[in-house]
Amino acid sequence: MKNDLLQELKRFEDDADQCMKCGFCSFVCPIYQEERIESSVARGKNELIKAVLAGELEFNSELTDRLYKCVACGACTESCPTQAHIPRLIVAARADIARTEGIKFPYGFIYRHLLPNRGLFGNLLKVSSFIQSTFMPKSNGAIRHLPNFMSGLSHGRQIPSIAHKFLRRQVPVVNKPAQGIKPELRIGYFPGCMNEYVTPHLGIRTIEFLTRRKVEVVMPSVQGCCGAPVFLGGGDFETGRKLADTNVAAFEKFDYVIADCATCSCAFKEYPRFLADTPERKEAYTHFAGKIRHISQFITDVLEIPASSYQTVAAVKGKKLTWHDPCHLNRHLGITQQPRKILQSIDEAQYVEMPDAGRCCGMAGQFNLLYYDLSQKIAEKKIDSIDSTDADIVVTSCPGCEFQLLDNLTRLDRPQKVMSLMEVLE
Amino acid sequence: MQSGIIKQLEDIAGKEFVLTAKEDLTTYAYDGTTTWSHSPDVVVLPNSTEQISRILKLAHTHKIPVTPRGSGTNISGGSVPVRGGIVLCTTRMNRILDINKANLTATVEPGVVLQDFNIRLAKENLFYPPDPQSFLSCTLGGTVAENSGGPLCIKYGVTKHYVLGLEVVLPDGYVLNIGGSTVKNRTGYDLLPLFTGSEGTLGVITKITLRLIPKPAARKTIMAIFDDITLAGAVVSDILANGIVPAKVEFVDNFVIRRIEEKMKLGLPVEANTMLLIDVDGSIAAIENEAEQILELLNAGGAQIARLAKDENEANMYWKARSAGFAAVYSAARTVIAEDVTVPRDRLADFMKKLDQISKESGFEIVLIGHAGDGNIHPSVFTNSREKEDLDRLHDTLKAIFEAALELGGTLSGEHGIGLEKQHLLAKALDPRAIEIMKGIKAILDPDNLMNPDKIWERE
Repeated sequence: MKNDLLQELKRFEDDADQCMKCGFCSFVCPIYQEERIESSVARGKNELIKAVLAGELEFNSELTDRLYKCVACGACTESCPTQAHIPRLIVAARADIARTEGIKFPYGFIYRHLLPNRGLFGNLLKVSSFIQSTFMPKSNGAIRHLPNFMSGLSHGRQIPSIAHKFLRRQVPVVNKPAQGIKPELRIGYFPGCMNEYVTPHLGIRTIEFLTRRKVEVVMPSVQGCCGAPVFLGGGDFETGRKLADTNVAAFEKFDYVIADCATCSCAFKEYPRFLADTPERKEAYTHFAGKIRHISQFITDVLEIPASSYQTVAAVKGKKLTWHDPCHLNRHLGITQQPRKILQSIDEAQYVEMPDAGRCCGMAGQFNLLYYDLSQKIAEKKIDSIDSTDADIVVTSCPGCEFQLLDNLTRLDRPQKVMSLMEVLE
Repeated sequence: MQSGIIKQLEDIAGKEFVLTAKEDLTTYAYDGTTTWSHSPDVVVLPNSTEQISRILKLAHTHKIPVTPRGSGTNISGGSVPVRGGIVLCTTRMNRILDINKANLTATVEPGVVLQDFNIRLAKENLFYPPDPQSFLSCTLGGTVAENSGGPLCIKYGVTKHYVLGLEVVLPDGYVLNIGGSTVKNRTGYDLLPLFTGSEGTLGVITKITLRLIPKPAARKTIMAIFDDITLAGAVVSDILANGIVPAKVEFVDNFVIRRIEEKMKLGLPVEANTMLLIDVDGSIAAIENEAEQILELLNAGGAQIARLAKDENEANMYWKARSAGFAAVYSAARTVIAEDVTVPRDRLADFMKKLDQISKESGFEIVLIGHAGDGNIHPSVFTNSREKEDLDRLHDTLKAIFEAALELGGTLSGEHGIGLEKQHLLAKALDPRAIEIMKGIKAILDPDNLMNPDKIWERE
């Protein structure tokens, strides 16, 4: 294969050389643990990539299948004696595949046209929201089948419904603390797709939580998708750059950019690594990445809210809580203590740690769509962990994880509830 | 490979578990070594002894080479299918069939990963000592086939000391049972240690009965620093001569001490020449006494620092540092070859001096990590060069290392095996008649030379 077709892989070639083939990754790889075949695991995927770089293999559907069958949870790197970052190589390979082979419909359509265009995406979701509320029975509380164009992708699984009124129709761009209180900090808020379209009430909760603590929360209207499904999942770096440029410009004026979604936070931090193709972008993306704080980080490390001042909603009082670490938060951003500190500070609820709290739930964005059966098997191990804690509520901070936990708890007829971190706090 | 054969393999193991795509074959072309690689024609992942027997019968009828394999973490080239054919991978056969607390035995399928086994045994307060450092990934079938050992072998021995019974499918498909579940078993020639360590050349191990021991009640870790490796070696001999057999005695050299200090900031003297890590285990009373004696011997023997870890955390930190150091060696250069030679324990210091000389003469940095307790050292030679000339010189250097070990009465391989990596040196290490006998045994069991062919001996 011509080298110019491998421009992204070439940039990460040193990562490929780090692997010493000890196979330690196999013990922690959620996919290998299910399939027990070599192409499931980082070592095997790395050897495939090395064969591509050596011109022995070409991109084709077989290879693409193996490189997409990765949850990018990063457990392999964590367990690796040399910290070889195979998931990064996989993203790079996806980029080279996307550039040279194109992206499969309908994913390509979603990445290139829908996600970058908030208006179009919003309108499509609104149509499905209308159909859903009009024709579908309301069952399982807030969970209903989503009979929209995405249902072809969703295998009829249980996923949350689309909001009637999106977040930015409900709140102004600038949200100030109550009248007469001078803001001590002014931050840019990135609500992400989930809070924008599905759970705007949670976006409002985050905004209110912060404004009550003397933070002025600004939600610039031009912001786009964080790009995670586009460039990390789909390897579409070109569209990724458009999104990155939009977001960098939207938040230029802020010292802190707060996201309450683990994946969005992670995607922002990855702009410089994957998307910076010019010195200007490198500088702008690096500067932007430095401003990103996940909400749990912002609350505990920047605002330093004392443990005594956490209050919780009625639904949580007297309950047992456990925390599920989203991969994008713990291994990718190193945020593990902050959310636990918050949950442990809630006097009115009991916190219990689950075994393997950091193990991937199996969602991993489009992985769940492409390999639904495998994704469910991985989730079942997570559900076993949750069961073992006797907790009433699983708290996390990633819409993807929430979807997955909700879908599988419902499927397996479990009583536990899933809540987002900011849903727990008052 | 003929499509008819593939079809028959699919009938035996299921279509899903017969892999023929180039993208799959590529991932079964290697093991844990740096250089050996060859794709098979097909990979089969059977799920039972019966399936394996049928696969071997098929291969036998059609004269197809078969390379058995677990996780492929061996570091000898042993599971690389150099003649193509079938890779028979046992990773799906990962059931722990029985744990007998009263008889202190366990029966397992070959694909059980060592760490999964350890976790299960720990729940029962049982202990299986052989501890190859690939424990997170290696399969028990692989450790039996390679007769693996690790740091604990100074006190507890290697895999062959724990194998009580085996079910092996022979190259013609016959299912052979040998040994049993008793520690004492004197019935004819003992075939267990023949299959144990046979590197997959005599058959496919399909069921293993292992001897277990109760988990030691306690453990203590001692860390010592020396500015002269000869002194460290002498203290290890003193400890053994005083009747103390530690569970582990590991050492690392200056390169690794520096990397550990960079990463973990333990306050180690970075100019130090050698770090020893010693574990003692057993009853609480016994190990307190032993730890005290060891500290005295270390101090008397010229240790700069000799420290007893105050708790489990500190102990784990030292062992973690040792692993991190080990990793640092592997990530230090593009090509790192960690060798596996063993010398008699009392020749360790001489061997170190010789290695230092080889390093100076060759110009390659040689980093030393090893099991001081049993004379098994992994000299790691590395280079960033991709030039053929440099790589050839690297191999000459490795040869010099082996020759030095053999001269001191050592062996070619302590725990990694011969595989492909060391077959060119086998004749130097063994009595020619011994090689002849080994080949004779191979010819009885595998007359067509189909079972992991071209391993141990060079192809004639």
